[in-house]
Amino acid sequence: MDVLDLARLQFAVTGSLHFLFVVLTLGLAPLVAIMQTLWTFRGNPVHERMTRFWGQIYVINYALGIMTGLVMEFQFGLSWSGLSHYAGDVFGAPLAIETLGAFFLESTFLGLWIFGWHRLPPKLHLACIWIVTLTAYASAFWIMAANAFLQNPAGAVERGGHLELVDFGAMLTNPMLVFALPHVIGAALLTGGCVVMGASAYHLFRRTAEREFFTKSLRLGVVVAAIGAMVAVGFGFAQFGPVGEFQPGKFDGGAPLVMAGFGFMILIGELLQLFIAFFLLPVIYWLPRWRWVHPIVMLITPLPFVAAILGWLAREVGRQPWLIYGKLTVADAMSPGLTSGTITLSLVAFTAVLGLLAVVDYLLIARTVRRGPAAATLGVPSGPGGPAPERATALSL
Amino acid sequence: MDILWFGVFAVLVLGYFALEGFDIGLGMLLPFLGRTREGRDRIVAAMAPFVLANEVWLVAVAGVLFGAYPRAEGEVLFGLYPLVVALLVSWILRDAGLWFRRRLDGRAWRTGWDCIICLGSYGLAFGWGAALVALASGMSITPLGLAGGVAVAAALAFHGWTFVSWRLPGRVTGARRGGRALLASACVAAAPAAALLAGAAPWILDHTAPADTLNVLSIMILPLAPIMLAGQVWVWRAFGPGRAPERTLSFF
Repeated sequence: MDVLDLARLQFAVTGSLHFLFVVLTLGLAPLVAIMQTLWTFRGNPVHERMTRFWGQIYVINYALGIMTGLVMEFQFGLSWSGLSHYAGDVFGAPLAIETLGAFFLESTFLGLWIFGWHRLPPKLHLACIWIVTLTAYASAFWIMAANAFLQNPAGAVERGGHLELVDFGAMLTNPMLVFALPHVIGAALLTGGCVVMGASAYHLFRRTAEREFFTKSLRLGVVVAAIGAMVAVGFGFAQFGPVGEFQPGKFDGGAPLVMAGFGFMILIGELLQLFIAFFLLPVIYWLPRWRWVHPIVMLITPLPFVAAILGWLAREVGRQPWLIYGKLTVADAMSPGLTSGTITLSLVAFTAVLGLLAVVDYLLIARTVRRGPAAATLGVPSGPGGPAPERATALSL
Repeated sequence: MDILWFGVFAVLVLGYFALEGFDIGLGMLLPFLGRTREGRDRIVAAMAPFVLANEVWLVAVAGVLFGAYPRAEGEVLFGLYPLVVALLVSWILRDAGLWFRRRLDGRAWRTGWDCIICLGSYGLAFGWGAALVALASGMSITPLGLAGGVAVAAALAFHGWTFVSWRLPGRVTGARRGGRALLASACVAAAPAAALLAGAAPWILDHTAPADTLNVLSIMILPLAPIMLAGQVWVWRAFGPGRAPERTLSFF
């Protein structure tokens, strides 16, 4: 492998890892916000327990989203300084707006939400999770706007050897953005719904004590996953128009990786849509009692993650050799002077650290699911029935 | 507009060192101030509600660098390649330690992640010291960077020590510090970066993006500045000392 391949591999590995966690963050955030809204306004304690249990899974998953995201943000400057040199005046804008206008707020208010249990007034605490959710989706918008610019550099013209921003509106209404963004959001809701469904099916199948809890969770998961599947598949097919117009021949027998990614993504998406929207959704009333379906629901949990990665492979590899379609090649964008020694070292460091942490994170999520709502520690109230004596030290601030 | 965005950039850089500085400092002091597991739990719980609101300032720095100074971004990050990689790995490990330390109950698990928090914090402090020295000397990474690392580590450790004496007066360090002492130690933590920013101001301004780009950034971001500021202030109001005692288990 030459330097360019290694730099691309590094971006592919960290980008894929990032999206695995981000897609679940985007999928779970609205679910947790809805659960907490129900609890705040109806006062049913089961909704409080749902908020804490699914919130804990959301937060554990979130950790890796941040860590992989840091590498993504800095990687542009490390490996691809040619991009910021040639197109930074344009491409930098959505990224800057994402970090300041979305992620800055998301991180601040997530801290308030995680540590503000029983400390902030309930309605303000609820507002925190909704701000976190809205800013997460705002982040998705700006990142997709930046990516769409790479697919089709709308709103910019080349002057004096680099791109200049001339029409910000055209950048925000890029045809490569307007169908891809709902597609990604649909995929995220499908993923979040499938994780909630799968974990609920596990507990219902095992006949654990939390029957009401997981009956409600399963139904919410099915509804959200069905909506997500319809949106993801619909806006997936809707992208054929703009892709055919701006990147003709992208999916016509080019690289095998693109074809395989594209084909299997469609297969998984349609199967999930068929199963969830046309089978699980109509029988949602009986579903918690139909024990034979539960193993199938558990088994499909990884599929939306696989489809999401395949979709990104198709979108990104299919654009090769261009970094900015028709304007800047990946080879020209690579930092001049990048050596195979430095890129290998950083590739190994990032892959090893993030890969290991990702495995640990998934094991922790699996353990949280297995131990059930009674063991969730997020926002556990003190006092009778609260934290065990062993944990009392942290309270003695 | 150039001056305005340089101001934003400077505030974000200095804010990062003044705020995240005490998290890094406390991470370095963790084994010294918290000899028992309970002691370390208390220290981590003291800084935990601030960490997410603090570290995000550096993410914002990188965003402004990309948005307002795109040609400087590639030059700086690539010029400091090994240091940037070391800083990122340290940052990730420190964060992993915080997020994971309480997820299992075993003693070895938590002690192990506490070690990683400490190592990651040292990596951050020394990485920043070396990076600041390298930036000041025209992107050459020299042994002098180590001296810079020692200086920054000392400044951040002092800031961390002051923070915990303010948040938990008399409970961890035996000392009590007021808000004014904390402000002073924040200035100490931010001083090296402030010196560098002052020296590099002409170079940074020279790399500013065109007016059209800055206008877009201003229109999209400046209206949100009050909410960003309000969120930060709210964190300090909600989790400062003298508030209602903790009624929940700390998540970190």
